[in-house]
Amino acid sequence: MDRKKREELLSAGIDIGTSTTKLVISKFSLTNTAGSTHMPRIEITDTDVIYRSPIFRTPLKSGHEIDMDEVERIVISQYQEAGISVDDIQTGAVIITGETATKTNAEEMINHLSNHAGEFLVATAGPDLESIIAGKGSGAHAYSKQTNRTVANIDIGGGTANVAVYKYGKLLGTCTLHIGGKLIEFKNGVVNYIAPYIKRIEDQLDLQLEVGKSVVDKDIKKLTDYMAQTISNMLGQKLNESDELLLGHKPNWEGKVDAIMFSGGVSECIYHPDKCSTTGIYDDIGVRLAKSLTDHPELSSWEWLEPNETVRATVLGAGTQTTEISGATIQVDNQTLPIRNLPVYKISFSGDFQSNLSLLPQLIEEGIQIFDPKKEGQNFALYLTELPLLGFKDMQQLSKALIKAVEKKRSPQPLIIVLERDLAKSLGQTLRTINNKQPTVCIDQINIEHGDYLDIGRLLESGVVPVVIKTLTFQK
Amino acid sequence: MDTNMIEKVTKLVLSRIQEESHSKTNEERVNIWDHTTSNPKAKSIVSSPESHEEAGGRVTFSSFPSTKKEEENGTKSVVKTFPVSSKKQKENKSKNSDDFKQLTNSTPARIGVGRAGVRPKTDAWLRFRYDHAAAVDAVYGNVDKSLLDALDLFSVNTKVTDKETYIRRPDYGRRLSEEAKKKIKNKCMHSPQVQIIVSDGLSSKAIDENLEDVYLSLQQSLDNLGFNVGTPFFIEKGRVAVMDDVGEALEPEVAILLIGERPGLISAESLSAYLCYKPRLNTIESDRMVISNIHSGGIPPVEAGAYLGSVIEKVLKYEASGVALVKKEG
Repeated sequence: MDRKKREELLSAGIDIGTSTTKLVISKFSLTNTAGSTHMPRIEITDTDVIYRSPIFRTPLKSGHEIDMDEVERIVISQYQEAGISVDDIQTGAVIITGETATKTNAEEMINHLSNHAGEFLVATAGPDLESIIAGKGSGAHAYSKQTNRTVANIDIGGGTANVAVYKYGKLLGTCTLHIGGKLIEFKNGVVNYIAPYIKRIEDQLDLQLEVGKSVVDKDIKKLTDYMAQTISNMLGQKLNESDELLLGHKPNWEGKVDAIMFSGGVSECIYHPDKCSTTGIYDDIGVRLAKSLTDHPELSSWEWLEPNETVRATVLGAGTQTTEISGATIQVDNQTLPIRNLPVYKISFSGDFQSNLSLLPQLIEEGIQIFDPKKEGQNFALYLTELPLLGFKDMQQLSKALIKAVEKKRSPQPLIIVLERDLAKSLGQTLRTINNKQPTVCIDQINIEHGDYLDIGRLLESGVVPVVIKTLTFQK
Repeated sequence: MDTNMIEKVTKLVLSRIQEESHSKTNEERVNIWDHTTSNPKAKSIVSSPESHEEAGGRVTFSSFPSTKKEEENGTKSVVKTFPVSSKKQKENKSKNSDDFKQLTNSTPARIGVGRAGVRPKTDAWLRFRYDHAAAVDAVYGNVDKSLLDALDLFSVNTKVTDKETYIRRPDYGRRLSEEAKKKIKNKCMHSPQVQIIVSDGLSSKAIDENLEDVYLSLQQSLDNLGFNVGTPFFIEKGRVAVMDDVGEALEPEVAILLIGERPGLISAESLSAYLCYKPRLNTIESDRMVISNIHSGGIPPVEAGAYLGSVIEKVLKYEASGVALVKKEG
C-alpha cells in the first residue's frame, strides 16, 4: 500500500527437458502502480534475472527413468552457486517438458522436486502449458503486445516442438509436434537411437535408418526437410488430424500468422549457426534440423523474428512468467496460507443474479461430488465469474448463500473464493461479519479456468498474495 | 443562459450573413431558418461563385467497424459502417477493425467516432449532447430524499441557499450555516473516532447511485474494526472543506466525507471519499486525502467501502492523513 516501497520476491524456474536441464533465479519487484487517488494495484514492475545456470544434460537412469537424486543435486548445487538458500525461494515453477514428461517417474519426480526445491514452488507439465511458457520466455508474447502482428513462437527442444500463437498479448492457440533434435541420436557416426514417432513415418519417406547402422546423410536430410515442411503446414493450418508427427490436438487458432520466432535448443543453431558448426555437441539431428528450417522455401514467406532467449526460453518463462499477483484489496486469513494444489471449481453468474444465487447450494454440492466424493476433506476453490456489479445487499445474500453451502461439508474447511472482479475485500468482509469463525481466503483479479490447479502463497507486505495457476496434465 | 440574449445574438449573426450575401451576385441559394422565433420563416442567402471551389477528389471514408457500446441508460447504439469503395480497403478490413477494436477497448474516451465532413457524425454528436446533459442534470439535480431517510441521515445546509450561489461562491459551500452548526451539536455524538459525512457536492446523481453501497459497506468495515463511529448526516450543497466546520463542532479524530464529484462526459455519477485526520479550521489541504472515481465503471462502490475502512484504520494508527501520513509511513 505504501507507494514508495518496493517489495522483492525471489522466483526460481527449473526446466527438465528431453535433453537438457536448466535453472534460472529471478527477482521480482512489486510496486503499487495505481495513482494516489485510487485503490492500490500491486504489479510485478521489474523482473531481474539474477542467476542463469549452465545447461546440464538431463540425467537419466535408463532411457525411461529420470535420475531423481541427480536432478535434485544439480538444483541444490545451483542454489549454492547463486548464493541462495532453499528457504529464500518464494515462488516459481518446475516444468517438465517434451518427451521427459512421458518418462515413467516424471510425475513423482516433479512433485518431489517441488517439495524440496523451495516452499512455494509449483510443478507443472503438459505440452500446451509448455508452449505458452516458452512463448512468454522467448519474448514472442511481449512482441505481440507491442505490435498488431500475430506471432507464433516455435520452441524446438530435444523431443517436441511447442507452438504458441499470440496476438495483442493474448494467446490465440497452441500446437505440439513430435519434432526435436533428439529424436534420432548418433554415436561415433552410427545411429544410436530412433524415437518411435520417427519409425512411423519411415516407410512414408522411404528412409533406411536403423539403430547400429551408419548415418545416411541423404535420409537425415529427407527427414529434417519433412519436419520443416510439417512446421510450415502447421503454421498454414494445413495439418491433418492423422499426421504422425502431431501430438495432441490440431492447431486451434484462427486467422493468419504474420511472424514467427524460434526458441529452444535447436533455435540456437538457427540464429547462431557459427556456434553450432561442430555437429558433435549433442550428436543428434538438431543442427541439421536447424539448417532445414533455415533453408525451407515456404517458411521464409513468414517474417522471422529473433527471440530474446533461445535455449533458455522455457526456463525463463517458468521462472518469470508463471506467478500472478492478486488484487490488492483482498481478505485472507494468513494462517490458512500457503495453499497448494487446490482444484478450481468455476461457478458462472451470467444471467439473473437471483436465480444463480438459488442454484448456488446445488452447484457446490456438485463440486463436492466431483472433488471430494468420499468426503475425505479435499478442499477446492470456488471461482465466481461474470458477477454483475453487486450492491451491498446482493453481497450479503451471496455471503449468506456461500456460508450456508460450505456448512454442508462434513469436515470444516477454509472457504477459498477467487473472483474475477475487484470485489474480494467487500465479500470477504461480509463473510466475516456473518460468520467470523469460518476461515476464509477471498482473492480477486485472477483469471483461471475450470480444472486448473491453484497455489496461493502467504500474504506479502504489500497486502497481496502471489498466485500460480497450473495445469497438471501428464502425457501418458 | 439568458434566452433573450441568445435570440439577439442569433438575429445579429443572421442579418450579417444576409448583408454579406446581398452584396454578392450570381447566387447559389441556401435556406436558413430562424429557430428563435415561434413561427420559423425560411430566409434564403446566397454565396458567391468565387468562394465555391470544386473539390479536387472525392472524400473517401475509412471503414469503421460496427462496435456496440453500452450507454449509461442501458440503450445500445451502433456505430454505422460506411460502405468501403476501394477493394484494397476491403481486404484489410478485418485486420484493421481488429486493431481498431483494440484501441477503442483501451479507453472510454470518444475515439474513432467518425465524421461527416468536418463535423462529428450525428449519433456521436447526440451521444455527446446526452452525456453533457447528464452532467448538467447531475449538478442541478437534488438527492433523492427517500434514500437519505432509508439510511437514517438527517440534512443540514451550508451558507448556500441556491445552486447559482453554490457554483459562484465556493467559499459559502465550505461553511455550515449557523442553524446547521446548532443542529449537529444537538443531534450528533461528540468527539467520535470516525465521523461519516455525506454531501451532494457537484453531483447529486453520484449520491443517488453509489451512496447506499459505499455507506453500508463502510459501516460494516468500521464495525468489524471496532471503531467508535459518530452520528452520520447529510450536508446539502457542500464543498470538501466543509468537513473543517464539522471538525470544529464535533471534534472527531477522523472525518470521512462522501461527496459527488464534478461530473464529466464519461461519468456524471462518480463519488469521492475525502478523509482527514482531525479536520479543523486551520487544516491545510495537504492533510486531506481522497479516494476518487467510485462508480459502476470505476472502483466498485461496495469494494470502495470495504477499502475505505482499512484506510481509516491506517489514518488512526499513524494519527495523520494526506502527505503527513505518507511521510510517517516512511
